[in-house]
Amino acid sequence: MYSLRVTNVSKHYSATPLLQNISFQLQTGEALAVAGWNGSGKSTLLRIIAGLVKPSAGKVQIFFDNEPISKERKRKLIGMVAPSLAIYEELTALENLEFFCRVRGIPHNREKCLDLMERVGLCEQANKMCRNYSSGMIQRLKLAQALLHNPPLLLLDEPGCNLDSKGMKVVERIILDQRSFGMTVIASNEEREVEYADRVINLSK
Amino acid sequence: MFALTTLIAVSFSIGSFRIGETEKPFLYAVLLWIILVFSALSGLSRSFVKEREAGTIDVLRLSARPQAVFLGKLFFNLTLLLALESIIVPLFILLMEYKIESFGFFAAMIISGGFGLAAGTTVVAAMIAQASARGALFSALSFPLLLPLMITGIKGCERAAIGVGVTGWPEVKISLAYVIIMITMSLLLFPLVWEE
Amino acid sequence: MICKILLITWMAVVIVAAFFYAGPATGFPGETSRIVFFHVPQAWVATFSFLLSMVGSLLYLTKRNPGADYLAQSAAELGFVFCLLATITGSIFARATWGSFWNWDPRETSIVILLMIYGAYFALRSAVPDEERKRVFGAVYSILAFATVPFLVFVVPRITASLHPENTMSPAKPAMDPETLVVFLGSLLAYTGLYLWILQIKIRISKIESFKKPNIGQR
Repeated sequence: MYSLRVTNVSKHYSATPLLQNISFQLQTGEALAVAGWNGSGKSTLLRIIAGLVKPSAGKVQIFFDNEPISKERKRKLIGMVAPSLAIYEELTALENLEFFCRVRGIPHNREKCLDLMERVGLCEQANKMCRNYSSGMIQRLKLAQALLHNPPLLLLDEPGCNLDSKGMKVVERIILDQRSFGMTVIASNEEREVEYADRVINLSK
Repeated sequence: MFALTTLIAVSFSIGSFRIGETEKPFLYAVLLWIILVFSALSGLSRSFVKEREAGTIDVLRLSARPQAVFLGKLFFNLTLLLALESIIVPLFILLMEYKIESFGFFAAMIISGGFGLAAGTTVVAAMIAQASARGALFSALSFPLLLPLMITGIKGCERAAIGVGVTGWPEVKISLAYVIIMITMSLLLFPLVWEE
Repeated sequence: MICKILLITWMAVVIVAAFFYAGPATGFPGETSRIVFFHVPQAWVATFSFLLSMVGSLLYLTKRNPGADYLAQSAAELGFVFCLLATITGSIFARATWGSFWNWDPRETSIVILLMIYGAYFALRSAVPDEERKRVFGAVYSILAFATVPFLVFVVPRITASLHPENTMSPAKPAMDPETLVVFLGSLLAYTGLYLWILQIKIRISKIESFKKPNIGQR
């Protein structure tokens, strides 16, 4: 049973406050949406949870059965999709997934990668160079990349970005599946995406 | 490209006949190392800068261990340098009629020097990828760090050319010590630079 | 207060003694050897400063205490100034003794390298916008640079000796008669005292300036 605890997180960028005293808790099976206008700090909050950015104050902790998890192990528990997180355009989709498998130290399994690609609806284009992908296809690949290691915590920053209605169904399915063994945090402005969550935190005052 | 252009410029303007025989070993060593170091400085920062520009730097930070990233980049820089050396050095020898007495020593010097150049600059490359004014800053930062290596390399190549006092390959040992120290320190310091 | 007065008086005594008390050393043209009283302590302070800066960097990386970073930076700035002074006085000496301003002998080369390291350190710090990153990077660079110092100490003399054997005589340790020795040590003490005094003022200034900045919740 995993849980995420965010306590009094604040972030300033040279004296202009972006996030102020954000706190919440999340548990396995729950999904949280973070909403707010552009520039309200949704992406930053997700990046802070992921560990990519240090908060100016406060802390983020992940617990397994109430035991806090160390920073090094945190890496294995988080999967993230965001516009700022890119994939390698010089490789094909399959090569990208295989690379991330290797880099994460997951037993590198072609079957698994292909399964994942099917899950996100990219099977036919598995061997095309990502440079030639449409933005929707890239988004699907990013989703696949985030799920490679079955992370208990899934961070989705605008998951529906560039996706058509079929793509949105994929996202919906992923969030649903994620409920059975983990937590999800979604950052978005879109109604349809926010609806997938149980609770909403609004960053705009 | 830089290396080739410099090589051609040097060979053209200096040529092997304009320099007296006694001066040759030393001067050639200096010229060769200048070409190698400056080519390294112009090319080695790309590995990190490219990641930042493509946006893949964050995904790496999320998925990989910092040490793995460092070693990967180090290995890449090393391969790049060794490839560069394998083209430039023979060309240099040919064009300048560089007479080398102790070839094994010379080769060992060049190779260990290549290791050193990669080892000394990888962490710096990681730092400047996050800073502004990248190109010039990279050179300014790396040069003082590479200077001991460069001086050792010049001395070693000079000795190899003359063929005197080569037993034990002293400069190669110094160069290897440099490599080991730099890599160890970099492995310790890199995670601090990599994570935010 | 007393310390400052003592220091200033001491320095004044040293300067006077440098010219009137100690006799000129043999083997050096005219009065030029007197520069030893100024040049060597400056070089010593410059190197010591580098060491202090590196120690501050290490402390900062392990403890993340801003005070350690103030030490590292102030030591670097002050060290740079003394390094510049040492280079200039060394150059003047070279001109007077050997006839040319610059000769690339081991001492001169090492001082220039130190100058370059300091310069690179400042360039790096000013190129990084984020405060925390700036400190971390500065510290990392300072430690890396320090790691190359042992090599410089061994390697530089060997190569420059082969270049210009006639110039390897740097005014390191000529046999000093008692008066000279006394003034020299006195000067060393004076310079070190001066350095430490200015250093702690600089650190205090950094601390005060950090209060002026809006409190951005340092962890």
